[in-house]
Formats: sequence, C-alpha cells, structure tokens
Amino acid sequence: MEIILEFIIAMIATMAFSILFNAPRRELPFCGLTGALGWLVYRIMVLNGISAPIASMFATAILTFFTRLLAVWRHMPGTVYLLAGIFPLVPGAGMYYTAYYLFIGEKSLSSQYASDALLVAGAIVFGIIFAFAIPQKFFHNLCKKRAIFNKKDL
Amino acid sequence: MPHTKEILTLAVEIADQMLRNGAEIYRIEDTVIMILQSHEIDNFDVYVLSNGIFASANENKEDACSMIRHVPLGSVNLEKIAALNQLARDLCSGECTLEEAWERLQRCKKLPSFPIALQIICCGIGCACFSYLFGGRPFDALMAFFVGSLEKIFLLFCEKRKFSRIMQNIFASMLITVFGIILYFTGLPLHPDKIIIGSLMPLVPGIAFTTSIRDLYNGDYLSGSIHLIDAMLTALCVAAGACLPLLAFEYVSGGVLLWK
Repeated sequence: MEIILEFIIAMIATMAFSILFNAPRRELPFCGLTGALGWLVYRIMVLNGISAPIASMFATAILTFFTRLLAVWRHMPGTVYLLAGIFPLVPGAGMYYTAYYLFIGEKSLSSQYASDALLVAGAIVFGIIFAFAIPQKFFHNLCKKRAIFNKKDL
Repeated sequence: MPHTKEILTLAVEIADQMLRNGAEIYRIEDTVIMILQSHEIDNFDVYVLSNGIFASANENKEDACSMIRHVPLGSVNLEKIAALNQLARDLCSGECTLEEAWERLQRCKKLPSFPIALQIICCGIGCACFSYLFGGRPFDALMAFFVGSLEKIFLLFCEKRKFSRIMQNIFASMLITVFGIILYFTGLPLHPDKIIIGSLMPLVPGIAFTTSIRDLYNGDYLSGSIHLIDAMLTALCVAAGACLPLLAFEYVSGGVLLWK
C-alpha cells in the first residue's frame, strides 16, 4: 500500500518538475510515469535489502529502457522523458548530508555519505549506459507499425 | 536548387536553438548532417560543442561557406527541443519547404513557457513530494511546499536581475536553510533536514549530470566534461550554500545546530 502511495507521489513530483523544464503538455503524464517507474524499482529493491547503488543502477537501466520505448512510440526525443524521469534517483539527499556532517565535524559520517552519493552517481552512469547499449533497431521492432527515422529517436 | 548558404544557415540556426535549449550534442550534429544531406550537399563538416557550433559546406566549390556560433549554456526547455526535432524531421523528409521551415523556426523560438504562477506552484508541489519521498512526514511536505514556492519566486527574481548561475544556486540554497532554521525554532514537530532536502531538489544538477553522461557515452568527451564540471560546480555551490547559514548560526549563538 505504502509503495503504491509512493508511486503516485513520485509521479506527481516528476510531473511538477517536468513543468519547470517546459516538457510538452501532452507528454507530461509520460514524464511522470517514467520518474515513478524508476522510483518504484529503486524502492522495491532497497526494501528487499539490496544496496542503494545497485538498486539505483537497475532502476536507471529500466527507466532508460522505458524512456527509449516511449521515444519511439510517441515520436519524441528521448531526452524529454529521461531528463525528467531521472530526477527522483539523483542523490540530492546524500549531497546535503555530506555537507551537513562535514560542517558539524563528523568527518567519518560525512565521508561515508560522500562515497555513497558518488557510488549512486556512478551507478546511474552505468544504468544509463547499459540501457543505451541496446541497439535502436530493437525498439523499432517493438513498435513496428510506425515508419520512423533511424537515429533521431534515440 | 537553393543556395548552399541558405541551407547551411537554416541548419545552423536550428542547431543553435536546439543547443540553447539543452539538446545533446549527438542529436544536434545528426540534425545538421541530415538536413544538409537531404538537400544534396555532400561535402560538409559539422563540429558541435556544448557552447559552440562550427559548420562548413562545399569548401572546395564556388559557393563555399562556413559558420560559427557561440551559444552560452542555458536552461533546459524540453518542449522546444521536441518541436525543433519535429521540424528537422519534416525538413528532411521534404514535407516542409525552406520558407516554411524558417517560419516554423520563428514560431519555435516564441513557444510560450508555462505561466509563472503555475511554475511556482509546481516547484512547491515537487519539493513537497520529494520531501515526503525522502522520509518526511506529511506536515514536513506541507512546509516544503511553501519553502519550494518561495524558492522558485526567488529564482525567477534572480533570473530577471541576471544573477550568475553560481550566485543563484548559493543564495537559493542559503535561503532554504534559513527557512529550515526558522521552522526548527518554531518548535513545531518537524524534520528540518527533510524539508531542506526536498526543497534542494530543484537545485540539484540532475539535468547537467544526465546530459554529461549521454555526451560522454556518444564520444563527445569535451562537451561531456563541460557539463560534468557544470554539474559538479552546481553541486558544490548548493552544498556550500546549504551549510553557510548553519555556520553563521553557530558563530552568532555559539552552539551547533543538531537535527537528525
């Protein structure tokens, strides 16, 4: 139940932020869905005891995969969904705690948060790279009905 | 057959607008190449950086021409990227003539952004939701809504006054922490750290970071590094800004603020 609530809240959050970046009006629900999907995967994995960097990596990979699917299906640049959808996974909290603990003199806690935040950032990099390694043809075959320009949808 | 210069100008102008609104390097280079190829120009070179475009066409012929553009790093506008992408596609497939393309480009430039009131409310809602997602209570989220809205008002004000991006980030995150400290002292049952984290989310450089990864992945190392440095600087500014008010408080009152 809690997870469903979080899914909806993550969706609202992503949609609200997509408005700040002027996402096309008709794509707003899809932007929201992308962000919510990423958060859902991340939360389920973390709740099942998987470490945050690994969870972020899988969540980002699935999110990016979904983004590319949407891009082909909706005839939009994938950036529209990816930039909005990645927001819930960016380690903003880690960044804040690193600075906060550094300030109150808790060096060890601070460096722990710093390394966690860096690991999550690195995991996001790998998540995106893995999902982009899938050839574009695969997505075109999934949505065969539409004739599409070759590389533009990436 | 239209003149080489005419086509190159259009292609570079579209690329300029795409870059200004935050598209990836790969997409922009691809767009220029596609437009030139579809208009039967085969001898050309395009080089795009995060803040510049270099293009030349038909260098060894009579109508040789080349263009250079300087494009400052700007804010992201996804709707314009989508519209320009569609324009480039129609131009390549021949659905749209050069004159129509110019007209559509002008329209793309003037695409309205969302009303300011909506932007402020949305920033508040986003902050509230993130504050909840990162472990805040509903009451914390409510406070994050107000802090986030005020933050957006401040950011819009800064934009109007043409503050530098670094100063904007530092001041905005300072503002958030100041609000956090004030709320802490109201004695309400709040988690100031959750409110602060939620409200910091619009400042966190998620977009610059993602763009940088995509540029690096496509082999545009220089552009990727530019965005990466941008992301790291922003993160540093936000973190420093968030802690400065705490430092000032410690100096004034002699005690360290502890909330956890």
